[in-house]
Amino acid sequence: MTIAAEEEMPGAKRRSSLIRSPQFSSLIILIVLLAVFAIADANFLSPLNISNMMAFLPELGIIALGMTLLLTAGEFDLSVGAVFGLAPVVVMLLVQNGEVSIGVALLAGLILCVAIGAINGLIVTKIGISSFLVTLSMLLVVRGAALYITQGFPLKSWDQPGFFVTLLAGSFNIGSFRFYTSLWWFVGLSLLAIYILRYAKLGNWISAIGSNRNAAVARGVPADAVKIWLFILTSVLAGLAGMISAFRISAASPVAGTGYELEVIAMVVVGGTALTGGRGTILGTIVGALMLRAIRNGIVLIGVPGLAYNIFVGVIILAMLILHALLQKNAARS
Amino acid sequence: MVQEVLRLQNLQKSFGSVRALKSASFTLNEGEVVALLGDNGAGKSTLIKAISGVFPVDRGDIYVRGQKVSIRSTRDAMDLGIETIHQDTSLAADLSIARNLFLGREPVNLKWLGVFAPLALAKLRNAASALLKRVGISKKLDADALVSTLSGGERQSIAISRAMQFAAKVIILDEPTNNLGVEETHGVLRFVKEVRDAGHSVLLITHNIHHVFQVADRIIVMRRGEIVAEQTVADTDLLTVESIITGADMSALLRETRTK
Repeated sequence: MTIAAEEEMPGAKRRSSLIRSPQFSSLIILIVLLAVFAIADANFLSPLNISNMMAFLPELGIIALGMTLLLTAGEFDLSVGAVFGLAPVVVMLLVQNGEVSIGVALLAGLILCVAIGAINGLIVTKIGISSFLVTLSMLLVVRGAALYITQGFPLKSWDQPGFFVTLLAGSFNIGSFRFYTSLWWFVGLSLLAIYILRYAKLGNWISAIGSNRNAAVARGVPADAVKIWLFILTSVLAGLAGMISAFRISAASPVAGTGYELEVIAMVVVGGTALTGGRGTILGTIVGALMLRAIRNGIVLIGVPGLAYNIFVGVIILAMLILHALLQKNAARS
Repeated sequence: MVQEVLRLQNLQKSFGSVRALKSASFTLNEGEVVALLGDNGAGKSTLIKAISGVFPVDRGDIYVRGQKVSIRSTRDAMDLGIETIHQDTSLAADLSIARNLFLGREPVNLKWLGVFAPLALAKLRNAASALLKRVGISKKLDADALVSTLSGGERQSIAISRAMQFAAKVIILDEPTNNLGVEETHGVLRFVKEVRDAGHSVLLITHNIHHVFQVADRIIVMRRGEIVAEQTVADTDLLTVESIITGADMSALLRETRTK
């Protein structure tokens, strides 16, 4: 081997590791999917359809950001869909029935989310029950609470413009595209999450805890506290997403967000974050969120019968995961 | 002049009705490798966990450089210069070597941001490279490589280097050669000698008596929660130590089987 070739090694190595990284393969598949949908139906890339996708994207995407951090630390949260439903229901009930201003109601909703996340986190870390079981139970409790306090009915619509409503669900036009402020929330929170996971001291701790909790604890990393805060963060983001969604459609339903927990986890793992902890990627999650949104939207557009479309979603997710597993195996072998 | 680094006086610890540690007293000197031997359940890990701050002792005193100290957490132990390296639990495999070396003590910019402070990545990388070079494993290892790509022996070396990095007075090695190949085991043992020559004290816990005779200066044997023997390696031999560990007279046993 010549010296010149040796000098080129690090750059080449970095490039090949980027190409082999899970978020990169996800990105390629996303581009392929978008191309296929665009060719199959010209309306896929129409301003109206893109605006539509961009309206839905942040609502699950925001939850997925929290879930990525939590999964990287080795835990997950099945109660996010239920929190997505309960938080806006509580806010709207307070606003409609109580003598409470919208700001106070939103604050109360967020405090409720903090409490739910804290309970999840405390039980998981201090009593040592797996997060699967704890948050599954919490899903039932939270969803049950939403159904009970509304007696199962959607709340009457509430549509009074104001600062907070604009902040959460305002909309604006760029050319013939119509965007919601929720997109800014998603962009801002994504940048923050990327910073935390990749560049901050906290991110180092989160990855270390998910990779080898005992090692992290032995180095003085407060693993339990970090996990509890991540449960709180995930819950708050789920509640925030629920409020954004409710204010966008000016109504809150106790069954909103049903099944979102699995969709969000799918976004995160399709993006390349390991379900077993230690390896997380926010960029991958953003790709994953875009992909699931595009799949749901695209297969309806190209005429797959509505009742059959979960089959396609499931198959595409499975294909993604198989691809990640194969790439992982290849990387380990080389 | 021998300088005392760590002294334990009559440490006791019970779990419910089980007296895991009945009484343990010994002294560890500067630049010395002391091997802690004993069968399963002899109380070795209880003793190690007490020193490294995993749980507090019921009774007894710990002195570091002659100063009485109280160790209530792993952080306390680390701050006193006591670093413990457990088999397989010391590194996070999904993190790079550099990030592992500074885990829990990351160099950061804008310190006032607390846990949100940005890592000083260049500093982290340079310090890690310098450290790898100093311990003589830089030729093969890149500070940015993931720990999951390293062999068991390399991982042990990284963990031990990290302990040296933070100027640990006492490095506790818990079964450092378990699951390692012959070549790697020799590498780790050589490394232990280098650590001692650099002035650190090592407390080595192992099942393998042969390794003890290769690197240790002194041997301490525990049985049923007590220290039952303390000898310098020069003054003893393998069979004697083995018989102390099991409680049976091995040399007598051997004579018997030979005569038969």
